[in-house]
Amino acid sequence: MPSKVKYRKQQRGRMRGKAWRGSDLSFGDYGLKVLEPGWITDRQIEASRVAIMRFIKRGGKLWIRIFPDKPVTKKPAETRMGKGKGAPEFWVAVVKPGRILFEMEGVTEQEAREAMRLASHKLALPTQFVARPGAVAAAGGH
Amino acid sequence: MSSVQNIEADPREDFGKNAARRMRREGRIPAVVYGGGGPSIPVAVDPKKIQAVLHSESGQNAIFTLDVRGKAPARVMIRDWQVEPVHGGLLHVDLVRISRDAKLKVKVPIQVVGEPVGVKVQGGVFEFVLREAEVECLPDDIPEHFTIDVTELTIGRNLRVSDLPVSEKVKVLTDANRVVAHVVALKAEEEVKPEVVAVEGAPAEPEVIRKGKAEAEEGEEEAPEGKKEAKEGKKEKEG
Repeated sequence: MPSKVKYRKQQRGRMRGKAWRGSDLSFGDYGLKVLEPGWITDRQIEASRVAIMRFIKRGGKLWIRIFPDKPVTKKPAETRMGKGKGAPEFWVAVVKPGRILFEMEGVTEQEAREAMRLASHKLALPTQFVARPGAVAAAGGH
Repeated sequence: MSSVQNIEADPREDFGKNAARRMRREGRIPAVVYGGGGPSIPVAVDPKKIQAVLHSESGQNAIFTLDVRGKAPARVMIRDWQVEPVHGGLLHVDLVRISRDAKLKVKVPIQVVGEPVGVKVQGGVFEFVLREAEVECLPDDIPEHFTIDVTELTIGRNLRVSDLPVSEKVKVLTDANRVVAHVVALKAEEEVKPEVVAVEGAPAEPEVIRKGKAEAEEGEEEAPEGKKEAKEGKKEKEG
């Protein structure tokens, strides 16, 4: 969640189109790409990060390419309609198809695949493992 | 050099997204040829041929002959290309004409070989920071890639652009001090307790950035309350 915001609450917005930005591997050799539009909560991102780091134990570097900067509000249970917008409940990152969620480096392709598979199980959106062309040879070298 | 030596292209007469999408459905993609003192020509090419060039040893720096129907063949190379974000298919290609005697500015990929000592023995993490270097040279002197041996790399040591094996015919434009690769020590991973987060429930809210008129706004907020009180007072009097 951001340290400072201009407004406490936001409207839900729409997610049309594809991720024309943030859809390429920029840092690592391997990545996880999302295939459908949606919200990824801060808890899901953290759970995925923990799953990846627990699997790779030591070695390897991880980049998280999304940030949950959108507050989502919720009305309390059994509340009548009206009386204004609910209180901010959690934070989400808005993603569009093609967006790279995580990137990894310093591990073999097999390890990266398994780590990303574990991470994808923490998310509510379909994802795909992606690798940089020629990354297999480079990963074998170190 | 790439295995693809010759690509055929047709001049384009229809423009805009509708024509471009029609063309893509038919299995061809829009492209444009420019540079070399000649006019800019919109063409249509086979994306499979372009992919073959991009996946060749020389990659995007491969020089090939573009045979545009009704025009003289030209030596070209890929300057830029657009990719569909989800499936990775080619959408559009920029091709630039090349003359043998004019120097070019191109990006050459850097390849690493070997396993660093810092990773193998010391348990560090290898970081490949800079994956390509910009160089200036004649078209025939473009290197396919720069290969650097990282075997001797220990924790805290790094390889810079100045360490790249560059021939005399090639001038490197990237800053010589930029780090290409290094080995860093592993940071101790903090164990996050998810249960604690769950117990907390709603997270603490971030600070809201207030404008300079915060005091003025507060004053405005108070004003309606004052009006309310006045109204209530009136009602009481009427009652």
